[in-house]
Amino acid sequence: MVPDHEYVPIHEIMTKEEAQAVLDKYNCTPTELPLIYVTDPAIVGLGVRPGDMIRILRKSPTAGESIYYRYVVDV
Amino acid sequence: MSVETVKSIDGIRFSVWSPAEIRKYSVAEITAPETYDEEGSPVHGGLMDGHLGVLEPGQRCLTCNKTTAECPGHFGRIELSEPVMHIAFINHIHRLLQSMCRICSRLKVPQDVLDEFLRVRNKHAAYALISQKKIPDQIVDRARKAKECPHCGAPQQDLLFTKPTTFVEKTEDEENRLLPGNIRDRFVKITDNDLVLLGYDPSTARPEWFILQALPVPPVTVRPSIILETGIRSEDDLTHKLVDIIRVNQRLKESKEAGTPPLIVQDLIDLLQYHSTTYFDNEVSGIPQAHHRSGRPLKTLTQRLKGKEGRFRGSLSGKRVDFSSRTVISPDPNLDLSEVGVPESVATKLTIPEVVTEWNIEKIKRLVINGPDKYPGVNYIMRPDMIKIRLDFVEDRSGIADNIEVGYMVERHLSDGDVVMFNRQPSLHQMSIMAHYVKVLPGKTFRLHPSVCPPYNADFDGDEMNLHVPQSEEARAEAILLMQVQDQLISPRYGGPIIGGLRDFISGSYLLTKNDTMLHRDEFSNLAMLGGYDGKLPEPVSNGSDEPMYTGKQLFSLFLPKDFNYTMTSKWSKGTSGVEKDIVIKNGQLIQGVIDKSAIGAEEPESVLHRLAKDYDNATAKKFLNSVLIIVKQFITHYGFSYGYGDLVIPEERRLSILGDIDDSYSKVDSFMQSYRDGTFAPSRGMSRKESLEAKIVNELSKARDSAGNAADKAMDEANPARIMATTGARGSSLNIGQMAGALGQQSRRGTRLDVGYNNRALPHFTQHDENPDAHGFVRANYRDGLSTLEFFFHAMGGREGLVDTAVRTQQSGYMQRRLINALEHIRLEYDNTVRDPHGHIIQFLYGEDGIDVAKSDHGEAFNIERKIESQRMVDSGRPATKAQIKKILEKYTKTFNPRLKDAVVNAVQNSNLSNAGIERVCREGLELYNKAMVEPGQAVGIVTAQSIGEPGTQMTLRTFHFAGIRERNVTLGLPRLIELVDARKNPNTPTMDIYLDEELSTSREAAISVAKNIMQTRLIDVILDTETDYSTWIRFTLNEKMMNVRDITVDDIVEVLSSSKKFQIETSPMQLLLRLTEESDTSSVITIRDKIKKTIVKGIANVGRVTLVQKDNKWIIQTTGSNLSKVLTVAGVANTHVRTNNVFEIAETLGIEAARNSLIYEIHSTLEDQGLEVDVRYIMLVADLMCAQGHMQQIGRHGVAGTKDSVLARAAFEITVPTIAHAALAGEVEHLRGVTENVIVGSNIPIGSGTVDLYMHVNKKREESSQH
Repeated sequence: MVPDHEYVPIHEIMTKEEAQAVLDKYNCTPTELPLIYVTDPAIVGLGVRPGDMIRILRKSPTAGESIYYRYVVDV
Repeated sequence: MSVETVKSIDGIRFSVWSPAEIRKYSVAEITAPETYDEEGSPVHGGLMDGHLGVLEPGQRCLTCNKTTAECPGHFGRIELSEPVMHIAFINHIHRLLQSMCRICSRLKVPQDVLDEFLRVRNKHAAYALISQKKIPDQIVDRARKAKECPHCGAPQQDLLFTKPTTFVEKTEDEENRLLPGNIRDRFVKITDNDLVLLGYDPSTARPEWFILQALPVPPVTVRPSIILETGIRSEDDLTHKLVDIIRVNQRLKESKEAGTPPLIVQDLIDLLQYHSTTYFDNEVSGIPQAHHRSGRPLKTLTQRLKGKEGRFRGSLSGKRVDFSSRTVISPDPNLDLSEVGVPESVATKLTIPEVVTEWNIEKIKRLVINGPDKYPGVNYIMRPDMIKIRLDFVEDRSGIADNIEVGYMVERHLSDGDVVMFNRQPSLHQMSIMAHYVKVLPGKTFRLHPSVCPPYNADFDGDEMNLHVPQSEEARAEAILLMQVQDQLISPRYGGPIIGGLRDFISGSYLLTKNDTMLHRDEFSNLAMLGGYDGKLPEPVSNGSDEPMYTGKQLFSLFLPKDFNYTMTSKWSKGTSGVEKDIVIKNGQLIQGVIDKSAIGAEEPESVLHRLAKDYDNATAKKFLNSVLIIVKQFITHYGFSYGYGDLVIPEERRLSILGDIDDSYSKVDSFMQSYRDGTFAPSRGMSRKESLEAKIVNELSKARDSAGNAADKAMDEANPARIMATTGARGSSLNIGQMAGALGQQSRRGTRLDVGYNNRALPHFTQHDENPDAHGFVRANYRDGLSTLEFFFHAMGGREGLVDTAVRTQQSGYMQRRLINALEHIRLEYDNTVRDPHGHIIQFLYGEDGIDVAKSDHGEAFNIERKIESQRMVDSGRPATKAQIKKILEKYTKTFNPRLKDAVVNAVQNSNLSNAGIERVCREGLELYNKAMVEPGQAVGIVTAQSIGEPGTQMTLRTFHFAGIRERNVTLGLPRLIELVDARKNPNTPTMDIYLDEELSTSREAAISVAKNIMQTRLIDVILDTETDYSTWIRFTLNEKMMNVRDITVDDIVEVLSSSKKFQIETSPMQLLLRLTEESDTSSVITIRDKIKKTIVKGIANVGRVTLVQKDNKWIIQTTGSNLSKVLTVAGVANTHVRTNNVFEIAETLGIEAARNSLIYEIHSTLEDQGLEVDVRYIMLVADLMCAQGHMQQIGRHGVAGTKDSVLARAAFEITVPTIAHAALAGEVEHLRGVTENVIVGSNIPIGSGTVDLYMHVNKKREESSQH
């Protein structure tokens, strides 16, 4: 379901523990994270629910690869 | 500074004043329309009532008994005899009226739905935040449509709103005007719960307060009256407006009491509403503006706040400062790079506070004796008891000087060596304000070194610059640590040098370092001394003669560090097709090659200067540049370098051959025209016959110009000053030489030749349809020979376009810069290396994804490993390290590196063949540089980003050239494209796609064509030859067989597409379609049906217009104009992973927000790159991440990032000032003052950069420590 395209990086759902670890690491609340809609084409196939957190493995022109997190929100 | 108590503002809550509050804060009811009586004293109960504050010094306020300086002014009120609506809330009033029941004032939404909304609203789950924001709109949308109230069952009526202030309820048989009083009565009944759902904070704003019963009268200090020279008192616009209101109010009151007919009363009510409306806002559409007696429109409350000169942008975000100066600038190459020449007259006015100590008391006494008029002197003395003495009024200055003791403070004149900030507007990037050291000079202009012009973008055609004198030690320390010229050598935009040699410094350094430049011993030592060299003279080069001679290269080498090794290619070598890597510097000696722009020039990355700044430090680079520039200046002055008419003369036969070549080109053009008329002219792919003819002519003529230019260029020898300047990069290009000595070439407008204007000719001097290139703006003359009248006119036409272009684009790019700054100013780097806004929202988890600060980087990289290894190799000794050794070292040092850097280091080191110790050293230094290049917490990454993208926007204006023809696709480029991207437009101007094909299809042209046919949109109209219509029953289309074959469409295809319609039956005959309408219709509906059918897409994809096949790397690619990503992805044969569109919004829709971010980075990057502007990707990434942070694309501007900022003040200061504040008031928003603009407005510290931290000292602890010692 996830579109196969060079622009779309890998999106993964994180477990509750992983998500909490990220929040602890950055000492922030979920709403302070960048957001992604549940309806985003890149994650609709993953079976996400609002409140989940997504880990995105980006290809980076500066670092080679980098990780970004987004918090799934209702539309 | 000795400040007793400073109260800091915690926050600002916005709310709406209730009538009760208005009355509570009011100190006087204003009833009299007169302001002053005959004696000139304020009328009691008038608008200038003494209770409202004091204007003139000496008077005391009747309310608080304070003087002008202390009394803040007090509000009064006007009791309105009829309520009026507050114009700033009129849209909110409208929304409320629409969504509530006219009887019970409940929201016209069933209770269970409201409960559900309330549940969502009160849900604390974080993921609901977007849905919560949408609640008010959803409710209003739903409530508006209700025909009867779900709560009380009352039938609802249609509401008509006539702007600006009339509400009418309409039933089938009557229209009923809603008066402010009725509206108020309804609003009173709205429940708090309903208001909360609509986003109101009922504790700070009840909607009935939007209807004014009492009007606050601002204090007189807000609307001071002024006395003109003639002695006439002139009142403020607001006072005038208030007088109007009072008058009408009075009349209304009297009429009501006297029982005047309701119609007349209504007129008065309307008039009162008009005056109150214009009092708040005099630019409301739909009503006439209120005018002053002179005819000038009144400036009322909204006009005071709004716009560039308004309170927010003009008075609060930009404040006037003391200790500053502005004058014309002029160049002085004898100054140090970091100096600024300050005229004595300025230096005696600008002062620096200096505390008298036992070490400077003698000096200060001398200065005091000089006084304020004699430089260097003192303007003020501050005694320890805080009494300030102005020395202008002191007769006996030496007496005062004698009394000066330690602990006094004086304000002394600016003197040599003081630190000042120097600035030139527009301040587009951080290098627009730099710290310079003062050099007091005679004259009346500021003097600066020509080489610091590029960062300021200054020239000396009358530019003025500003100078600011920091007053505290803290400010001076910050200026020295952060703003010195030498620390701005490297531009944070791309991590390369922005300051360097230019113009004659470049020509000079070439003349100095070219091979045959020899210097006598005395010349050499003079120059060396001038450059600040104080070491031993090097060994002279023997040249056969008795006298010792030195080379220019030796002189240059004196100023290089002794362990500097570098090799690079000079511009000169490139320009004369010389050898690669011609510049060789070994152990600080310039062995071969010439020094030109590529070695010491401004804006030249990887130059000698850049290497010095990176491999050593900024101070070394600045010292080197200073020395080189001063000796070069001296050298070229003595050597002599001039340029004149004589240098442009070329031999006569050359001149004739150039003219001959042009004639040849003309006849070629003629032959093209001939073949075009014959019909033998073959058009090139993707263009019509006419277009390709034009393209061919343009191409031929540009070849003619080039060959003329080359011929002229060749006629000049290498010592020709124009050629020296062009090839060394000092000034001009070979194009300029060609235009001066060869031919000027084609003049163009809008990228096309000059053709229309006067009936099929460019100018009335030609015959119509003249095909000669001369008649279309080709100028065969050159600047040396001079242009004919017509040629001159053509030239001016082209020149005008350039000027207009520049003027238009500077405005556009200025606005883009403002929006970028506004969207990004508050974004900074936090201590956990995340990039956040001041409310904690994360934009990036690691700045630039690798945490490297571009300004501290080496051209965008943490460090240059190849370069490190190269310099180590020069000194390396011992056996190459073993694999195991290398592995161990790498493991030790590359732990913290990111994957890409690690790969680069590992590869480079493994192939280096260095010794174990050498590798260890390289890696250790690499790690050190890496750690040094990390961004520091607090860094204003947002502002630097905005500047780095905005500043080149202004450059694009100048560097945009129109290339005629040839391009097959016409796509928006340059500044308009960049603006389009940061605007996040839904529909870009020129959407286009690059469609890659599946591996097995991509090599075959035929396969590509067949895929393309499935993509290209084909409408019925494209494949029909003729249409026949019987205007009641049938339509007949005759199909174009040829076209059908080209587009690969059969009649059956068309029938299939059309058969879905029930309106007609289709009968087919070969190459004909007969559509019989099922119902007989009238003419106009048949035409409608016919036109609709003609536009039906019978094949391909909607919105995809033209398709072109392009071969790239042996693969066929389909390029389209028009874009429709989601459909193209479904076409067979298309390589889905590689389909590109330049419509970023579409990508967000079909591939998601992350894909949109990647595409945005790609698009912005290629737009800038295409213009030859270097901007580091990290900045583009930050902008893209910011635009995509909310899950959807947000524009950089009022509808996106800048408009959704948390800060009310920041939003109000950006755009749409008054509505923003009105909304903040009804929602009870609180301003937390965490961002930049907010803190500028309230005048406190800005929480960015050095403002994020504060310096504290444990005074007691310190004392204890020192007493112990």
